[in-house]
Amino acid sequence: MSRAHIATLVALGAALGLGCAMFAQKPAWELPAPLAADRPIAREGALTRAQLPNGLLVLVHEDRRLPRVSIALAVPRGAAIEAPADAGTVSFMAELLERGAGKRDALAFAETVDALGATFSASADWDTVDLGIAGLSRDFDALLDLFADAALRPRFDAREAQRARAALLAALARAKDDPATLAAWQATRALYGAHRFALPVAGTEETAARLDAKRARAYHEKLFVPNGAIASVTGDVDAAAVIAALTARFGSWPAGAVVDPGPPPPEQAPAQRTIVVVDRPDLAQARIVVGHEGISRTADDRIAVSIFNLIIGGSGFSSRLMGALRGNEEGLTYGVSSAYSLRRAPGPYFASTFTRVEKARRALDVLLAELERARSDPPGEQELSWARTLATGSFAMGLETSDAVTAALVDLDVYGLPEDSLDTYRTRVRAVTPADMAAVARAHLHPERVAIVLVGPAKAIVPQLEGLGPVQVVQP
Amino acid sequence: MPLRRLLLTAAIGCWSAVWSLPAAALDDPVARARVTRLDNGLVVVTLEDPSTPVVSFQMWVKVGSRDEAGYTGLAHLFEHMMFNGSKHLGPEQHAELINARGGEVNAYTSNDQTVFHDDVSRETLPLVIDLEYERLAYLDISAKTLDRERQVVLEERRLRTEDSPMGRLYETLFATVWTALPYRTPVVGWRSDVEKATAEVCRKFFSTYYAPNNIVVVITGDFDANDALTRIERTLGKLRPSESIPRNPTEEPEQRGERRAIVHFDVNGPLLAAGWHAPATGSPDGEPLDVLSVILSDGRSSRLYRSLVHDAEVALSAAGGYWEFDAAGAFVAIATVRPGMKIDDVERRFFAEIERVRREPVSEAELDKAKRQIEVGLVNGLGTSHALAERIGSDFLAFGRIRPLDERLARIHAVTAADVQRVAQKYLVDDQRSVVHLVAPDPEQPAKGRGGT
Repeated sequence: MSRAHIATLVALGAALGLGCAMFAQKPAWELPAPLAADRPIAREGALTRAQLPNGLLVLVHEDRRLPRVSIALAVPRGAAIEAPADAGTVSFMAELLERGAGKRDALAFAETVDALGATFSASADWDTVDLGIAGLSRDFDALLDLFADAALRPRFDAREAQRARAALLAALARAKDDPATLAAWQATRALYGAHRFALPVAGTEETAARLDAKRARAYHEKLFVPNGAIASVTGDVDAAAVIAALTARFGSWPAGAVVDPGPPPPEQAPAQRTIVVVDRPDLAQARIVVGHEGISRTADDRIAVSIFNLIIGGSGFSSRLMGALRGNEEGLTYGVSSAYSLRRAPGPYFASTFTRVEKARRALDVLLAELERARSDPPGEQELSWARTLATGSFAMGLETSDAVTAALVDLDVYGLPEDSLDTYRTRVRAVTPADMAAVARAHLHPERVAIVLVGPAKAIVPQLEGLGPVQVVQP
Repeated sequence: MPLRRLLLTAAIGCWSAVWSLPAAALDDPVARARVTRLDNGLVVVTLEDPSTPVVSFQMWVKVGSRDEAGYTGLAHLFEHMMFNGSKHLGPEQHAELINARGGEVNAYTSNDQTVFHDDVSRETLPLVIDLEYERLAYLDISAKTLDRERQVVLEERRLRTEDSPMGRLYETLFATVWTALPYRTPVVGWRSDVEKATAEVCRKFFSTYYAPNNIVVVITGDFDANDALTRIERTLGKLRPSESIPRNPTEEPEQRGERRAIVHFDVNGPLLAAGWHAPATGSPDGEPLDVLSVILSDGRSSRLYRSLVHDAEVALSAAGGYWEFDAAGAFVAIATVRPGMKIDDVERRFFAEIERVRREPVSEAELDKAKRQIEVGLVNGLGTSHALAERIGSDFLAFGRIRPLDERLARIHAVTAADVQRVAQKYLVDDQRSVVHLVAPDPEQPAKGRGGT
């Protein structure tokens, strides 16, 4: 429709007194934002907690809206416990759980899962091993049997371990085809040197070559104890029946010692500005990652840090970094984001973007300048005001499904955070002040000593980096 | 509900004895959706559900890369321009206003449609409606914002296609499967077209396709449908309909013989793709093709996983699936080859599995398993306001109505082993396929335009 046409229509409508268009009353963006009501995070009476005598925590979240159920187990130790030379063992162990368990070999286990239309997953992260199975609630008993076999009775068959190792080695080699992965791997190396955090959760081609069934079994025995672990069941179930069923399958699981979480990373990482270029001559775009140490999942100022990060680089279209890089006249990127990786021990802070190779320095300068500005001109009340609404609004929406609510509650247990943290979250967000922003900027942002990693054609990128400091060029 | 399912299934005449009804019959929330057609042709579908904290507002515009003439990538570039300012609001303000109230906003373009979606709390819905009206009534496309945005889109193209092995693979596959249909061009467009598209071309595109009679608005979740409809009538209801909306007349000519393409890219893990012509969306062959896709690809007991990943250990993943578009379809096979393994060996094993489904019927156990996997997938799709709105919008654009879950399930359950074999024989024909290999270039033969060390 042409604009002239619309103008005519508006004039006509106004003349006829039809209250044409929306301008009979003000458009909603000119009115004050209505307050969104804080809903409870779960329906009244939907949550039931229990603890089995062996220490296993149980959380049941009843939701009868759909005939489905998901069962999960979180073991509160993960890749962070590994010595760097053992990197990837916990992740490898998790992969082997469905490759034969109880009376079923790998293929029989897969056949049974698929015949129920179910999905099974087992994976390791820095602080947890997570198992999950989801399917129709009428299959609850069959699903739970499979799940208990995978958790408690994995076979660690030698031939399957060989297959899993070959697949892992191939996947690690192929992962280098992805520029974003290369950048992330190199950036953690640049930060952490000899600490476990330097290497990916899944390990490297070098460490993966050493993996076998015996090592995986040893880690399973060490990590899988009921005390400290959390079993959760969400969906169309009855809490009492679920607790009885879990007791039948997991009640005789013997308690044991919970392993040490592993040594903490260096307090400053890196100690000084480090610049690395990963040479990929064929790429049209330069990947850029800058970062340094961040904060832990349980840090006292974690809410303020998360709000600060939303404003700087964590809120997509509205962040300062997006405005500076995508919104500038040159259209320097399609996307940019930043995040503090929250782990038991302080994880890294990274800001990352990508741009055409010839603009690599320009984009890097804009990125670093924005981080510098975050310190010299930290968010004030105006930015804070929308960030609070964004945080509370997206918090509520992120908890739309009962599975998401359960996962968030389990996460609190994993880190020993107060059980009511979700209920108090919005109140705590609303209490964040501009002074908090300034404090976060001083304590947790260090653009002067970031690690800088660029992936792309070194021949075209290195000359652009003149004046930034010594540049190390590495092969993928 | 069970009675209705039984009747539907019986009517199709293929009641399967091994299929047992779920203990609790599925309640399809979408059955409660209300459809309103405004005088200007705008369709508004509302579905209230106070049990969720999210309102999903989705605007489905029936225009995609398929409708482009001249400049490829125009539908997508234009989608970006919808966020770049209007008479009363500056560039990016649309998204900022919704973000500032805790909502999420984004859009995507596909071959057949462009979808603008917002997930917000109920208090923010009036803002979303007003903002939608603002840009449809008063969009401002300036050459300056277009020049900035075209750079952003070119970065998106570098990200998803030019520097992505999988992106390169798909781009070449579709350009090989189709020689005439516009599905052969990438949704993001060819670089040269994105570089040259003008503000005038964008304005023309807008006035042609962004008319109320080419749009379906879907709202699901916790909101008051009467209030929303009143507001929509007062705003979007004033937009003028388009008298005619042109559609691309091209049809795909018959394929005579296998087609092959090679893409050189600096990868450790080569990629294999194959594509066969398949029917457009809505075909009665769609469900047998869906079942076939699941038998080949879904889960670690699927045929391709077992053969190529588990037993032979030559691929990291292997899958074949039915892709349905409004004017055509394709059956697409993709395998990621393990570094050091021969792509020809992976291809041979992949096609042996295709040959097997043509040669012999799948087992009843495999058939039942696939049906169950599809059923559980449909149940999982009922869990969020966003997914419900997506199902409604997609159905409405393709079929002009919402397909009840029962109907979809009945069709799936009616599929027999003979049907699966029949569609495999009908569509997965050797001389009707296109095959693409993405491999590292031969180091002895430096390719034009490549760097190198």
